[in-house]
Amino acid sequence: MATKTQDKIEQNTNKKQEPITYDLVLVGGSPSNLTMAHRLCELAKTKPEMHISVAILEKAEEFGAHIVSGAVVNKTIFDKAYPNHIADGMPIESICKESHFSILSENAKWDVPSVITRAALPDFVKDGYYVLTLSAVVEWMAETLVTKANEIPNITVDMFPGFAAHEAIIENDKVVGVRVGKTGDPIEDNVYASIIAFGDKGFLSKDIIKHFNLEGNPQLWSVGVKETWKLAEDTPCMKGKVYHSLGYPTLDGTLGGGFVYGLDHKRLTIGLVISLDSKNPNIHPQKQLQEYKKHPWLQKLLKGAELLNYGAAVLPEGGLASLPKQFQTNGSLLLGDALGLLDMKSLAGVDKALESGYLAAQTAFDALQARDFSAETLSTYQENLMHSPFMDKFKANKYFRKAFLDNPELLSEFSPKFLKGIELTQIPLIGGLVGPLVGALIVGLSNPIKAIMQTIDVGIKMNSPGDVKQEIVYKAGYKAINPNFSKELIKRNQGRQEFNKSTIYSREDAVFYAQTKYIEHPEHIDEFSSDTCLKCINKYDAVKLDVPCVSDCTAEVHRLDISSEGIKVHGMSLENCIQCRTCELICPEQNLRVNPAYAGAGPDFRGL
Amino acid sequence: MNKDLNIYVLIKQVPDTRSKAGVNADGTIDRAKAGKMLNPFDAFAMQAAIDAKAMGGPNSKITAVTMGPPPAIAILYQALEHGIDKACILSDRKLAASDTLATAYALSMTLEYVQAKDGPADLVFCGLQTTDGDTAQVGPEICERMDLTQITYCEGFEIRDNLVHARKVIEGGAMEVEADLPALITIANSYNRLEHKTFRGAKFVQEVKRNEAIQKQFVEIIDLADCKAEDSRCGLPGSPTIVSATWKIGTVGGSCKMHQGKSVEELVGEVVNINQETIKEFAKA
Ligand SMILES: Cc1cc2nc3c(=O)[nH]c(=O)nc-3n(C[C@H](O)[C@H](O)[C@H](O)COP(=O)(O)OP(=O)(O)OC[C@H]3O[C@@H](n4cnc5c(N)ncnc54)[C@H](O)[C@@H]3O)c2cc1C
Ligand code: SF4
Ligand code: SF4
Repeated sequence: MATKTQDKIEQNTNKKQEPITYDLVLVGGSPSNLTMAHRLCELAKTKPEMHISVAILEKAEEFGAHIVSGAVVNKTIFDKAYPNHIADGMPIESICKESHFSILSENAKWDVPSVITRAALPDFVKDGYYVLTLSAVVEWMAETLVTKANEIPNITVDMFPGFAAHEAIIENDKVVGVRVGKTGDPIEDNVYASIIAFGDKGFLSKDIIKHFNLEGNPQLWSVGVKETWKLAEDTPCMKGKVYHSLGYPTLDGTLGGGFVYGLDHKRLTIGLVISLDSKNPNIHPQKQLQEYKKHPWLQKLLKGAELLNYGAAVLPEGGLASLPKQFQTNGSLLLGDALGLLDMKSLAGVDKALESGYLAAQTAFDALQARDFSAETLSTYQENLMHSPFMDKFKANKYFRKAFLDNPELLSEFSPKFLKGIELTQIPLIGGLVGPLVGALIVGLSNPIKAIMQTIDVGIKMNSPGDVKQEIVYKAGYKAINPNFSKELIKRNQGRQEFNKSTIYSREDAVFYAQTKYIEHPEHIDEFSSDTCLKCINKYDAVKLDVPCVSDCTAEVHRLDISSEGIKVHGMSLENCIQCRTCELICPEQNLRVNPAYAGAGPDFRGL
Repeated sequence: MNKDLNIYVLIKQVPDTRSKAGVNADGTIDRAKAGKMLNPFDAFAMQAAIDAKAMGGPNSKITAVTMGPPPAIAILYQALEHGIDKACILSDRKLAASDTLATAYALSMTLEYVQAKDGPADLVFCGLQTTDGDTAQVGPEICERMDLTQITYCEGFEIRDNLVHARKVIEGGAMEVEADLPALITIANSYNRLEHKTFRGAKFVQEVKRNEAIQKQFVEIIDLADCKAEDSRCGLPGSPTIVSATWKIGTVGGSCKMHQGKSVEELVGEVVNINQETIKEFAKA
């Protein structure tokens, strides 16, 4: 003991010190990484003679503060990864007691009858699922982890909220550590480990994928924008009700959908997920969320309600086809969204994120025993994950994105007409589909054969993937952007005129509800070349559209300034940034990089 | 080259200004109910101590000292996270209701106690004042007791040739002073903001919390008997200050109206209208 204490004295002085090392460093206080640490605790108990040290880095000031999700999650994963989660007080908003799949036109809402949903869209039947505020669950995971680890003598888990990993350190083809500081002295700035797990939604994992040449198909991303509301006392209780919607307000051909989840304490979550591989250079995600709320259905629910929080995050939606060729490298593992484990068809990523953490723990534990951290040894992770039952739906839904990519008119042309049809018939006829179909015929489809063919093709790709023997080839989202995108289509998204103004927030005001806090002067987004921006600005000016970074930023960051020479230049109000990475993904010139900020700065998403 | 500096920084835990504190029947704050935070002024003092250490010789060290109930140890952990080397808390029920005189006495006895172990101070840093007392007296009172050179309202300093060159905030400007060591300096909130905690510090604190032996070595908990302070000079008996009465000065706030969710033009219009109305009301009055 005496010598150990002496070591510590040395450690906390200003003298040149030993490098900071752990067995495992987990990048991101994410659901996946926290589950990995929880599971490692359990595994450590089985080998008391083995000591394991773990560090968890989270860029937010508090665990959960940079987490925004839906989230409706299958409870079975919690039964597996957190068998005592009920007794341990995991915060659960509600248990889904009715789930709807709704089609929205500008004025009407059509709930697909549950017989049809159960038969044709089983992924959207969420009855019995947990409705969660994921930021709160992550906070709970972090707290219970500290308590758990303290009771196990042979594992130490150090928690580092407020410390982002800013750079991966790769030596001799092995990930050996990450940089957490910026003093310039590597001894103080770097943290080293035998295994680094990236559960960081792409911030550094994209560098790993690139460096080790793991990318097959590029990842396709979408952006999710979300608000939580406190409903008025006299609004009927929504707790346990889950709605997923298609249609209004995303009518420009972009793949997107809304969700409305009833939470505890008369709160409601309203969100929209929009694919970023849209041809439309001006998606305006935050504005579209406002359009969504203008729908009469939501206007009624929000009467007298009060906005509590706003946030945004991106989602990897390429599915199976976008998975990296390997889920591990020498010295590192990729988890959750960083790997791309979200199933867009069922809007479910949390279950697979947790499962990836659970399985990564076993692989890391085995590797620590064998003292072998090569990609080969770590590949049991990939094998186990690909055989996990939690991946079944993910695998089965592999054509989901391709289905819409192959049939673009379905969303841009036919579906708006179907929606009009629904509106015209108003009351869906018995048998469900008949109403909208009749309506669609009244409106008149320009090319009914093509509409039917495309619908069938999408239907097959979504529901009988076994029969589809087609290669999946994606191109990165930013490559889809078309500066000559139809103005008519853009107009369609601009929606309704009648609404209660107190339910609608400008982007500037929304930032207030994301509670961004930057103490130091933020510099976390790199703009690589101002010349590139100038060219881009000219290009979009010529077609009278905003540059994509300005229109699609989910907070009020990107702007155009007039320089002293009187020309438009790109500028950023970084203190508003909510670190969603949308701008990086949609910049057509790939001229931006969003880095994590220092000192825990950024939004406070707790409550989302 | 400056010599190794032995630095002390005095810090205090105060009710968190962002949390709602209860008020006792006698008008005092119900401290038990309030959230807690490091006195914001002390964050500047901590940064000053860290900066001073960097100016001293390679074996310079900082000890953070506080007085308060046991949970106040949280701010000592915070100090260690920022790279401060050691910490000591004076905690004793008999200290309840101490005024500035009694507090300064107890803290100077604590400083004597730690100096006996860790060597005499070259520099003692204090925050300018606390947010729950607002007197700005404790620092200067300790300084008098310890017979150190006194610099107050300091917003910047350097140590050259073992002399402190400091800039003090004074009404309407600043004043440059030069002083011998040892000195006690109270730091104004125009000093550099406290930098983010260090990774090594954050790591170390987690070890300290886990391991009692290390904790004993780095965070000392003492009572009045340990530092040989006289009970009669502490707490209520040692506090000549008399608070004759406290009362509520009425409700603060409540009249703030948020204007949001509309176009800038509309918002400006609304605000302008409000101002006109306010002006009219004033004119009437
Ligand atoms: C609007 C929206 C709705 C969703 N709805 C659902 C739903 O209903 N059901 C469902 O199952 N899934 C849903 N998802 C998806 C789900 O939220 C994700 O799949 C899941 O959160 C992924 O978990 P993860 O472990 O990969 O970590 P993430 O949730 O991606 O968390 C990453 C964490 O790492 C931190 N981090 C990132 N980079 C660094 C760094 N360099 N250093 C330190 N920390 C870093 C971040 O701050 C964050 O805390 C939704 C997502 C969104 C955006
Ligand atoms: S950052 Fe990208 S989108 Fe924005 S102006 Fe520059 S090049 Fe264009
Ligand atoms: S600037 Fe920040 S908030 Fe805006 S899109 Fe980029 S990462 Fe998101």
